[in-house]
Amino acid sequence: MPSSDEIKQRIEASIPGAEAEVEDYTGGGDHFRATVTAAAFEGRSRIQQHRLVYDVFGAEIGGEIHALSLKTRLPQKAPTA
Amino acid sequence: MSSQPSTTQDLPMSSAQPSPAVEAPASSGENPIRDAINEAIAEHKVILFMKGTPEAPACGFSARTVAALQSLDVPFAAVDVLPDQRIRQELSAISDWPTIPQLFANGELVGGCDIVTEMCESGELAEALQ
Repeated sequence: MPSSDEIKQRIEASIPGAEAEVEDYTGGGDHFRATVTAAAFEGRSRIQQHRLVYDVFGAEIGGEIHALSLKTRLPQKAPTA
Repeated sequence: MSSQPSTTQDLPMSSAQPSPAVEAPASSGENPIRDAINEAIAEHKVILFMKGTPEAPACGFSARTVAALQSLDVPFAAVDVLPDQRIRQELSAISDWPTIPQLFANGELVGGCDIVTEMCESGELAEALQ
């Protein structure tokens, strides 16, 4: 069973510059909720953004990882003075 | 008076709108389930592949997606993927999307539960389903 921490690390290792917050919301190690912020999402549709994250886990999604609920965000640009 | 080959089968459809039953293609395609899914997506403006039925969803994610659609009062067809494991496998192969539910509009994947819920809250969903 993967832990929230493992999920987080794998997302951050696979998507350059990504920051992930991951929560195991049933405590059972198979239902996760993640908010991923990455510049790599720029210019991609929501579906493409989610696919980038799903692709990190391949067949584990729907298998060992029953659910990975996602929110994807673009990094906030530094405010221009 | 034509009889369908026994290898083809209808998808377990239920529909909030009166719609003709999905007919498994009579062609001797190698993958009748994939053909039937493609045909269902092409024939229905809004179609949801889910676990269970809109009246009795079998999974919280499917239930939330149905609720989002119902909140917009949009008619949609629904296919229960649970009766046959192959529906889910073929669907994911077609859509390149690993999880259920999957909502399609105008022949294209709109998203799963997260995206549909987010789009519903932001008002984008109504637009996408037009």
